[in-house]
Amino acid sequence: MKRLAGIAVCSLFAVLLPAQTAPIRKPVETPTPDYRDLKFPPLREVKIPDIPTFTLANGIKLYLLENHELPLVGGFALVHTGSLFDPPSKVGLAEIMGSVMRTGGTKSKTGDQIDEEVENIAASVESGVSPSNGKVSFGCLRENTTEILNIFKDVLTAPEFRQEKIDLVKNRMRGEIARRNDDASGIAGREFLRRVYGPNSPYGQQTEYADLDNIQRADLVDFYKRFYFPANTVIAIQGDFDSADMKSKIENLFADWKVQQPPAPPLPKVTAKPAPGVFVADKSDVTQTFFNVGHLAGDLRDKNYPALEVMSDILGGGFSSRLFKKVRTQLGYAYNISSDWEANFDYPGVFLVSGSTKSSTTIETIQAIEQEIENIRTSEVTDDELKTAKDTALNSFVFNFDSPGKTLGRVVTYDYYGYPKDFIFQYQKAVSAVTKEDVLRVAKEYLRPKDLTIVAVGNTKEFDKPLNTLGTVTAIDLTIPEPKKPEIPVNAETIANGKALLARSQRSVGGIDKLAMIRDATEIADVDLQAGGTTIKARQTNMSLFPNQFRQLQQMPFGLVTVYSDGTAGWIIGPQGQMPMAPQVIDQVRMEIFRNFFSILLSDRDPNRTVVAATATKVEISDRDGHSVIMEMDLDGRPIKQQYLMSGSKVEETYSDWRDVNGIKMPFHIAIQQAGQKFADVTVREWKLNTGLKPEELGKRP
Amino acid sequence: MPHRLLFLLILPLCLTAQNLKDFEKKVTEFTLTNGFHFIVCERHDAPVVSFHALVNAGSVDDPGGMSSTAHMFEHMIGKGTTAIGSKNWPEEKKALAAVEEAYDRLDAERFKGLHADLEKVKQLQASLREAIATADSFVDPNAYIRVIEENGGAGFNAATSPDTTTYFYSLPSNRLEVWFLLQSEWFRQPVFREFYKERDVVREERRMRVESDPNGKLQELAMATAFMAHPYRNLIGWASDIENLRAKNEDLFFRKYYRPSNIYIAIVGDVEPAQAKHLAEKYYSSIPDGPPPPPVITVEPEQSGEKRAVLDADAQPLVMIAYHRPSQLDKDDPVFDVISAILSSGRTGLFYKELVRDKKVSIEADTNATEPGGKYPNLFLMFSAPAPNHTVEENEQAIYSIVENLKNHKVDDETMRRIKTKIRAGLIHQLNSNSGLASQLTFYASQYGNWRTMFTGIDDIDKVTADDVQRVMKLYFGSSNRTVAYLKGATK
Repeated sequence: MKRLAGIAVCSLFAVLLPAQTAPIRKPVETPTPDYRDLKFPPLREVKIPDIPTFTLANGIKLYLLENHELPLVGGFALVHTGSLFDPPSKVGLAEIMGSVMRTGGTKSKTGDQIDEEVENIAASVESGVSPSNGKVSFGCLRENTTEILNIFKDVLTAPEFRQEKIDLVKNRMRGEIARRNDDASGIAGREFLRRVYGPNSPYGQQTEYADLDNIQRADLVDFYKRFYFPANTVIAIQGDFDSADMKSKIENLFADWKVQQPPAPPLPKVTAKPAPGVFVADKSDVTQTFFNVGHLAGDLRDKNYPALEVMSDILGGGFSSRLFKKVRTQLGYAYNISSDWEANFDYPGVFLVSGSTKSSTTIETIQAIEQEIENIRTSEVTDDELKTAKDTALNSFVFNFDSPGKTLGRVVTYDYYGYPKDFIFQYQKAVSAVTKEDVLRVAKEYLRPKDLTIVAVGNTKEFDKPLNTLGTVTAIDLTIPEPKKPEIPVNAETIANGKALLARSQRSVGGIDKLAMIRDATEIADVDLQAGGTTIKARQTNMSLFPNQFRQLQQMPFGLVTVYSDGTAGWIIGPQGQMPMAPQVIDQVRMEIFRNFFSILLSDRDPNRTVVAATATKVEISDRDGHSVIMEMDLDGRPIKQQYLMSGSKVEETYSDWRDVNGIKMPFHIAIQQAGQKFADVTVREWKLNTGLKPEELGKRP
Repeated sequence: MPHRLLFLLILPLCLTAQNLKDFEKKVTEFTLTNGFHFIVCERHDAPVVSFHALVNAGSVDDPGGMSSTAHMFEHMIGKGTTAIGSKNWPEEKKALAAVEEAYDRLDAERFKGLHADLEKVKQLQASLREAIATADSFVDPNAYIRVIEENGGAGFNAATSPDTTTYFYSLPSNRLEVWFLLQSEWFRQPVFREFYKERDVVREERRMRVESDPNGKLQELAMATAFMAHPYRNLIGWASDIENLRAKNEDLFFRKYYRPSNIYIAIVGDVEPAQAKHLAEKYYSSIPDGPPPPPVITVEPEQSGEKRAVLDADAQPLVMIAYHRPSQLDKDDPVFDVISAILSSGRTGLFYKELVRDKKVSIEADTNATEPGGKYPNLFLMFSAPAPNHTVEENEQAIYSIVENLKNHKVDDETMRRIKTKIRAGLIHQLNSNSGLASQLTFYASQYGNWRTMFTGIDDIDKVTADDVQRVMKLYFGSSNRTVAYLKGATK
């Protein structure tokens, strides 16, 4: 109804006009002034708001900014971490961890429950990880502040990383890998970073299927625990609240978060060497070539950064720049063309000229870019260009302060990266002092035509000239490496089934309560070893102090051999004396410790182990160091055999002759086959449990 | 009227009424005699101002055979005026006229077709190039934008949509007059300098957004299939049309559509309304008005059966499904917004829950209630990117089962409440930015006749019932009303 009224008003007005043959003009008919003659009052001073800052008892640094314009409250926690800390074979770990921190729910609520709670009140709580920080953010209407702060705290301090959400995000990321070659500009961007930072550097890395297969829940938990602790966290909140009130709210809320860790390590160093040349990816279904041209740049601490910014602006920083004027306006070759001297707070960025042009103007465009880079290195920029660049930067400076949120963000960011509080004002001062000589000097020193990495993605058949006109050409292979098909998938379903099967096994040998009470175990056994057609008889005493101390006395025909390991290193002492433990031997010992009868049965209690059901009677148990066994059981759950790889060959151990030892059923005969051949027969004389073994005893040299 | 106020007071969350009352105090509206609509909104915290000029014409108004005319015009903002952008306007004016004449002579010969003298065509092409080079010699390149940047302009850009063309940027508030001078001069008399070079740039933009992007290609196919007749069928302009645009036709477009009464301007930030009004009178009032431009005459005939279109491309599968729906002025417009939120708002949307989370057939699924524009009958659009090892067919079926469910079962109260809360809260967030506000104010003023619709539209959303949702689903989401466009996918 009101809307119709609105339209009626408009048409009424419009109807009036045609009734007059000529529009009414104001009597003032002064010519339009020249823009250069306009006079402006001085700019009103920017009010930089007060940002009270506190360090809480547990080490969290808290920043607060009141803003009563709208009934909103929002903020974030910033954590010193980043995807740059991804281990080499697990690229994407931080991203998954950051995402599942939120979607996987917390100890008290599932992710779906949080979704509904949060969206019902039109609020948000989100989490993610960037190259050099982790962030959990929140936003809400003022009246929901308490509720959302509780969820925010929960997500930040007690994430549960439920498996189904890990599966979900991996699924999404697999989809993204599959799609990554559909977008030519994306290809150019990431291939450029890989070349410039180096293909093995965390700075240019990309997630592959194999990385996703390697990343398990335990990895997420570890990553989270390492970096998310109070002393490593800052919290910034702005909005419609009272600072004193909010401070005590946060103090009380986070009072029980007391975990401690060593400080976060420094970021990996950038050790890239220049990668000059042309790198081309052929894509036949596009009519444009997407190009990235450049090399490594610096960081914001560089004293020449202000001059470099001015130089880069003049070169390609906007509508008034040389690249824009030449390649877009003058030649009409590109819609998209710009250059950037990218300096990060904490690691060297890149100098990058990027854009796209139709296939048949590819080489010409890149040559025009190279020419502009050369020009700015060889002659001074004009007075007009300098003035435009400086005026642009200085007159728009006020926009750095146009919202309280920006000011808060800046204060937190400078603190986080260890920059002086007045850094932006130092920058402003430095820009206003930049001269033409400065611009020439930094262009000569920092722009390196010989080091230019040129990445071009497009339909090479349609290029105007051969690519090697630009330099040595390397073809980029866009093939996405196929994932190794995992023997047994790791997902919520197989994990649940594996847990159930293992529980059955635990029950069949006496129950989890009894098993969990075992602190040490000693096995005295006669071993018949098959070696090259002959049988060697030995008497073994194997002592295990859980979780990972191991001592073996093996009485051989030629003498006594004593072996010791603490799970990481060890020694062997025989009749000839001490022998160092060769790496293969250490690996063997660690495997023995891993697949110890009790350790295996208690695998579901070890956060570093994954237990999945392979079939209805087999579980695969693996840990983060690459150890893996398959345990087969009978229909009652009684373990029948273990299968595993030792030094490349398949080993199978079959259990029999079960007898009761202190209420636990133990096998007294073990038949061992290696690569299908009989390897050893073990007849156990005695099992002794919980005899009070001590580490010093185990580690004592004979 | 009193009934309405009473109704608003009953609402548990009276944010809307409260905010409109408070907000209105900050707004001053005035229309010049020649028709320019101004909305000034005060936010004095920071000494900055945002400007948003909306022309109520867009690519839907492109003349036949000249698609991208409106878009091309938008690009002309960078080219300047008679006073800014020229080294010698009197000479340049002559040179530009000479370019058009040379082009006319070329066309006169080319259009002879089989009877054209090819040698003459070659010569005329060379003459045209010379004429262009002569005209270009008078150009002070990118001067207009340079002036904006030198004065501290931030966020400078322009956008062409099917319904509207917008020009926007922000300035430090003491340079208010710069915007009035520059923008008014351009609305008074744009100059089509470097037109044919810029035509190449627009052609590149098409290559970038559509021809080199599977998503862009699919969207173009979807629109052109869904619409048989109505000009919403073309989003960014056909390549052949772009390559043959003429500066003289842009001028015709300008005189028809860029009339003061068709232009809405919002100024938001550290601005005094009295000063804005004074400057508006000073700079804008002498621009002549003209008759209101005609709306698009063509009406899309009712779709009589499902349409399907396939894009063969070496890329991962994608699917778009579009249902015809009435314009933004239809009484059911708010119901479509609610349906869009039910389907794809956050992680509680049905698309996320069923397609991504539970069935895992999609890695991303979304909807848009009004595609590509709202002025005329348009489309409710659904989109999904299938997950690895899942097909377009699976996604279609999963989407249709959600659609059928919404037809046969009423949405629960909790969902309705959540969506309305979100939309209301979304409004508050929009008040947080000068440029965002300026954009919204001009949008509602031009499309709904009153900027207050930004707030009162929320009331209309509040009134939508679960019965309305079911009714609209049954009415519009039938199979004969839908168009399915999909990218089947690569053998990767």
